[in-house]
Amino acid sequence: MGLEWQLAWRNVWRNSRRTALTVAATVFAVFLVVVFVAMAAGVHGKMIEDSVRMHSGHLEVSGKGYLQNRTLDQYVRLRPAVVNALDAQHELAGWAPRVDGFALISKDSATQGVIVLGVDPRREASVSSLASRVEKGAFLPSGVKRGIVLGGRLARNIGARLGDELLLYSVAYSQEMAYELFTVTGILKLPELELDRRLSVISLRDAQDFFVYGNRVSEIALLATSADGLPALRDRILHALPQDEKAPIEVHLWNEVMPELEQFIFLDDAGMYIMLVILVVVVAFGILNTLLMSVLERTRELGVLLALGLRPIAIFRVVYLESLMLAVVGLAIGLAVALPTVLYMQGHPIPLGGDLAQATAWLGIEPIMTFKLKPLNPLGSVLTILSVAVIAALYPALKASRARPVDALRSL
Amino acid sequence: MVVLLCVPTGAAALNLLPAPKGLDARKIASHVEDIFRGKTSYVEGTMIVRSPRLPEPRRVHLRMWDDRPRHRSFIRILAPPKDKGMGFLKLHPNLWNYIPRVERTVRIPPSMMLQSWMGSDFTNDDLVRDSSQLDDYDHALLGLDPALPGEDGAPSIVLSYRPHEDAPVVWGRIETWVDAKRYAPLRQDFYDEDGVPLRRIRFSEIRDVQGRPYPHRWSMTPLDKPGHETIIEISEVRFDEHFDDGIFTKRNLVRGER
Repeated sequence: MGLEWQLAWRNVWRNSRRTALTVAATVFAVFLVVVFVAMAAGVHGKMIEDSVRMHSGHLEVSGKGYLQNRTLDQYVRLRPAVVNALDAQHELAGWAPRVDGFALISKDSATQGVIVLGVDPRREASVSSLASRVEKGAFLPSGVKRGIVLGGRLARNIGARLGDELLLYSVAYSQEMAYELFTVTGILKLPELELDRRLSVISLRDAQDFFVYGNRVSEIALLATSADGLPALRDRILHALPQDEKAPIEVHLWNEVMPELEQFIFLDDAGMYIMLVILVVVVAFGILNTLLMSVLERTRELGVLLALGLRPIAIFRVVYLESLMLAVVGLAIGLAVALPTVLYMQGHPIPLGGDLAQATAWLGIEPIMTFKLKPLNPLGSVLTILSVAVIAALYPALKASRARPVDALRSL
Repeated sequence: MVVLLCVPTGAAALNLLPAPKGLDARKIASHVEDIFRGKTSYVEGTMIVRSPRLPEPRRVHLRMWDDRPRHRSFIRILAPPKDKGMGFLKLHPNLWNYIPRVERTVRIPPSMMLQSWMGSDFTNDDLVRDSSQLDDYDHALLGLDPALPGEDGAPSIVLSYRPHEDAPVVWGRIETWVDAKRYAPLRQDFYDEDGVPLRRIRFSEIRDVQGRPYPHRWSMTPLDKPGHETIIEISEVRFDEHFDDGIFTKRNLVRGER
């Protein structure tokens, strides 16, 4: 056994320039795989976190059919039993009830259709980043009666400023006209254009009065203490909530509430993995080429070894060891470069500018590029490169071990 | 090769008797239109809205002035107390709503046209739309329907209205049941362009008004929303009065009385 290791190690360094080039290719591949996967994990994690904090929460409690219809007919009655059940969940960092309706907003002669979101400012702060997006004024201060907060573009489009009185106009749940004057207390700056143009926020109680909605809410956004194990948490919460015969409730995961986000991430990942597969295949051919060259070079030498009585399986093992050594050296150096880089980037996200910043704003995420190293990432790279080495070495190793001593000795 | 035969759905499902010779569909449609609309009309009545959401039906008492030749109309809400004095002014194609309690006038934008009017099953568009069931449609006779008899028990006449290509209408087809004797409307079914029935209006309590057999109770059910119904009960109607121009002004709108 020691002999095989020794033979393999010496063979690897027999042509040190060729070996160095192969190792460099492997290092490059390992580096790219680790960095790209970390970047995708970081960016996608950020997208999910931002969206979860902006919209659904990790989990969303709503009336049956709300995700499909989104009208006032689907609701959760916010009874004390529901409040207590949610407050008792230690796995929740916070929960926020919301009324989600549609209205016409009118100032002077300007009118526009808007989303009316009724929130409980205190509870909302424990779940979403909405209040922190206020650019001017304040987010529904308790001193102001019937305050309203507008998206920045919405405010600009209707020419509303802080302190202005606006009319909200809609049809209430009770099928009567709903109209009420609200005072602008704050103006939001939302990264998502569509929301910035259409969102208006009032207090939960005002929304329930406006839509004559009683103690009903459209949805309850839940923020979990950890984003792991959400399906199980969903089941526990559904179980803990008191069922409502008149209005059955459902609990959904963020990816059910925002399927388009999950689809986007899936597509983005698919594109990245296709690129990485191409990269890895190129490296595989590099290793194959190096080994095949070195085996062909040594035909005579292998013939001598066989003639001296080394068994073909031993030759097979020597070539395999060479392949693994190349891969391991490449892996070691690659990880040694990639891991500190990613760890550094994790703490230093790259701010994006120009068109890229606009594109991310359109998707509703902060324009920064973040990195996140998951344990699966280096592990995956190691397994990928090792299996590449194993597959690439198969043909050269078989060729070497199947050589017939007589033929081999006769060749060059 | 498979040949798909399109069965004319309404007539096939209805089991109609053949219509007697000599009936002119357009002429009957013209009679129906005349009954509904004079040149001008003044109506006072109550709108009753039923829905699964409401334990009790909601009642809205209103007055309406409709000046058809000049494409304008005016509605004043008299009750419930919360909405008393509210006004709607239509000057085609615009619709304004004045709300006395907040002293504001809102112009309903095009994006809100398909929203419910006052919480009923009618839309803002129903108020504003300026189409004519006579001029914007082609009329055909489908047959006689013994299942829906008219005043004297005789089968009603069933007509099919199909819109002209460029007509400003939202329906793909209307079927109209008409009393065979005096051509009073009994029922209308409204279909979308794919032939899906969306709305049914039943007309009843037909009484004479200025020589017209006028239905004083209209019951509208949206066929895609079970449990919903909007009824209009008309207590007074007058045709072809002269209306003062001052009625159809924003000044009148904000007066809140009348």
